[in-house]
Amino acid sequence: MNPYYELPQDEAGYSFGFLDEYAKREVRRNILKAICIPGYQTPYASREMPMGRGFGTGGLQLTLSLVGRSDTLKVIDQGSDDSVNAVNLRHFIELTCPGVDTTERTQEATLIQSRHRIPERRLTSAQILVLQVPYPDPLVVVEPSEARRKIMHGEGDYSRLLTKLYEDIVRFDEITISHRYPTRINGHYVLDPSPIPRFDIPKLNQSPALILFGAGREKKIYAVPPYTNAEPLAFDDIAFRTEDFTDEQGLRRSCHRCGATDSFLDEFTSNDGVRIYQCSDSDYCNQRLSTQHSAANEASR
Amino acid sequence: MKIEPICKPQSAVWEPAVQQKAFRQLMNAFAFPGSLETLLPEVQERENNLLRLILATLTDGAVTVADPHHMIDDHDWSKLETNRETPEKARFIVARGDTAPIFSPALGSLECPEMGATVILNVTYIGRGEALVMRGPGIQSEKVIACSGLTPAWLNKRSEWNGAFPLGVDMILFDTARVIAIPRTTRIKIKEGQSWDM
Repeated sequence: MNPYYELPQDEAGYSFGFLDEYAKREVRRNILKAICIPGYQTPYASREMPMGRGFGTGGLQLTLSLVGRSDTLKVIDQGSDDSVNAVNLRHFIELTCPGVDTTERTQEATLIQSRHRIPERRLTSAQILVLQVPYPDPLVVVEPSEARRKIMHGEGDYSRLLTKLYEDIVRFDEITISHRYPTRINGHYVLDPSPIPRFDIPKLNQSPALILFGAGREKKIYAVPPYTNAEPLAFDDIAFRTEDFTDEQGLRRSCHRCGATDSFLDEFTSNDGVRIYQCSDSDYCNQRLSTQHSAANEASR
Repeated sequence: MKIEPICKPQSAVWEPAVQQKAFRQLMNAFAFPGSLETLLPEVQERENNLLRLILATLTDGAVTVADPHHMIDDHDWSKLETNRETPEKARFIVARGDTAPIFSPALGSLECPEMGATVILNVTYIGRGEALVMRGPGIQSEKVIACSGLTPAWLNKRSEWNGAFPLGVDMILFDTARVIAIPRTTRIKIKEGQSWDM
């Protein structure tokens, strides 16, 4: 987004939350149906937003339809509050939703819009997580026709998707899906959980918070209601496994800043060619660091 | 130049900020089936206002509403700008909970289960009366909620309509101030042991 962009001066031209009330009402109706049919991709008329499709317009439309003046919003991109997508979306919501507070602290937020990560800190039932989705349909890799995919979803027929996973195991001894891992919700629909790593898939299962997914370009809304089963597709003899952060000695790698051994780690190469690992969730890392600093200050007194 | 509205809205129900709050409460009701939501006190000044708020929040010209028991007055019909439809075809059905349904609502199709109707039922009192035991998505183990003024015929019909997931109907129950929602995935038993599974 252009940093000098300003909304037109005439305030009558834009309502709170940028979208008009008819657009919000349509999104809201579809959110309710998405909650009632867990994992089903509810079609909706995705609006043009003043940013490119693929930059989180689906998540943004959900957020703008949900948000009110009593909300505190957090926007994350790949775990970070400071990366360009998160900064732009947060700035846009601040411009169009006067009175809405924003925060970086997960526990303070009532509404969290995220791209590619679910926060490390366990969400509560008072929070809502909105995930931005590029490709909502996990069956697209095995069936090009949407009409046929809709029937397959309705019948709960995922045999071809399971065949694809099986072929992966035959060829590579491993299911090669690193993110967007197909996950079955409440024993029926299989959804694309957006490009979250496998590490975050278990957080969908029996989550206390409502999780909403918005695909702007593909015009779909779907949901994982709170306290709902979410099972990654797997086989009886080959279990689902998350990313492995153990080093050559078999020890769990830790974050080089805060020392966390329970978080999802990003890998960097330092200037002298050494691999370093750091928490992907920057708020989790910062909060751990500040707790450590205050504990160290207490001890030194 | 600022344009003054021709007439001031008579009720807060029609204000976007009020509808936003009402929607969040309705969404909470659907996300946590059986959990009681007390809708905004500022709009409870008139009888039937809760129904008006629910309809104003959820319906407009893009959907259809059926009113077999004539619960929506003419003034509200004109304010809602929605379309009347028979209960068999409507997306939203407003009905009395103490009267057995004599229609079959739309259940959606295998490809488009979201076309299943939302039934908005007026009951006498939520929080007192016959205890309903609920299980399903959105409920950690089970949820017990009392409700009076809901004839068992509704629950029997509901279990019939919701027999083949993903097809089915979703329900909103309301009294003068409170709302609960029952998505099609919720399984309901009456406390005495008689079951209306799904």
